Amino acid sequence: MLFMHETHKVIGRQASAFEAIYRDEWMGALAQGDDARLVWYLNHTMGSGPAYQVVTITALTDGAAWETLAQRMLSGDLNELAARLEASRYEVRGKLLTPVYWSALQQLELADVPTDGREHDLSVYMEDTGWPDSTLDEYIELWDHEYWHYMRQIPPEKKLLDIQACFQVAHGSGIRPEAILMQKIMNFSTLGGLLTSVEVHDPTTWPGTYMSRALELRDQWESKLLRTSKWSPLW
Amino acid sequence: MLFVHEVHKVVGKAAARFEDAYRNGWMPTLAEGSDARLVWYFDLAHGSGLAYRTVTVTAVRDGAAWSRLAERLASGDLQSWARDLDGLQHESVGRIMAPLEWSPSIGSLDDIPTEPTEHEPTIYMEDTMWPFPGQVRRYIEAAGNIYQRALGAEGSQVQMHIELALQSMPGAGRYPEVTLMQKLSSLPPLIRLLTQDVPPEVLEPGSWMHEALDLRDQWRSKLLRTAVWSPLP
Repeated sequence: MLFMHETHKVIGRQASAFEAIYRDEWMGALAQGDDARLVWYLNHTMGSGPAYQVVTITALTDGAAWETLAQRMLSGDLNELAARLEASRYEVRGKLLTPVYWSALQQLELADVPTDGREHDLSVYMEDTGWPDSTLDEYIELWDHEYWHYMRQIPPEKKLLDIQACFQVAHGSGIRPEAILMQKIMNFSTLGGLLTSVEVHDPTTWPGTYMSRALELRDQWESKLLRTSKWSPLW
Repeated sequence: MLFVHEVHKVVGKAAARFEDAYRNGWMPTLAEGSDARLVWYFDLAHGSGLAYRTVTVTAVRDGAAWSRLAERLASGDLQSWARDLDGLQHESVGRIMAPLEWSPSIGSLDDIPTEPTEHEPTIYMEDTMWPFPGQVRRYIEAAGNIYQRALGAEGSQVQMHIELALQSMPGAGRYPEVTLMQKLSSLPPLIRLLTQDVPPEVLEPGSWMHEALDLRDQWRSKLLRTAVWSPLP
């Protein structure tokens, strides 16, 4: 399964129209077939980074499904809809992601993904993107052994993040080496603590020794706080 | 046919080993199957931009073929090759591109050479453009109708022709983005372009340089030199 991850730099005055196209037209257009579904519609939370940036993630059964969708957008029946989206943003940057071997999310039953715009509470994700100095494989293995393993041990009442998926960039569709964690924030007060803490994340004291070991493989990553829309199929 | 375009930020001390990995690893390995072929191996000409940048272009038959290749690299028989390459480059930035409807064809995938036959290096000017929001369709049409024809006209500023005209596929790069792979047939006009002001008539209303400003005003040119063994020169 592939996940098409797109970051849209939306024209501020067009933000509502952009979202409406996704909710009222795009999601439904994909739902007419059985090989693609919009799964997440996320707004980069204002106050934590760039303004008017939207992240969408579309699940696709395979590479053929992606090519079919892309060609429909470029010159097929979705061209007009894609053109209206294009006119509502400055640019979009996309990459195709595949789940890493230990990711909790591997396959999605596309038929079960809501497509009717039903509303729900909002949720916030911390999307971490890392660029190791090591090989990509070593980084993914580190996350498995040192991060994923540790995070699973934390009791629910103390859990800040629930790692819902981990991806790597599929060949030639973005940066290598790069890997991405989709982490749902489970406790906003704990998040507040993380954001306001003046504690120096000394690797010897902050949780366990993950920070220390991870520094051997990378020291550059970016966290984005992404809030689902109230109609996002997954949230 | 789709094209995987990658810009590699190569470890300087490992540049020769990086090239060897493509010449003696990637190219012959792809040649064992029918899904993909290495088309071009370029070095960004020293003195014209960032150092130790290599551009590779790999053709894949279609999305399914690309997906099989991606899987081999992520967890199959090419995983160790990719892992070794990670040690030879700081990073690579890739995008998957489709030919524009008016693009010349590079021919059949099966006809792309897979033996490292040596030839003279060739210089390409690779231009990448970012049309204004909502203007990509018009830009592509105008580039085909006006720019491509102007390149072929007598008295053209730069003697080159378009070998391949591409746009990024949705979901696999920045969009909208158009890239023209332009092969130089003569060097002196390029040197004139680099060392002299653009003639006023080239900038006048009615010219491509003037009119295309309604469609885009940002692009980037890279001067790329093919390796002597690059499958296509």
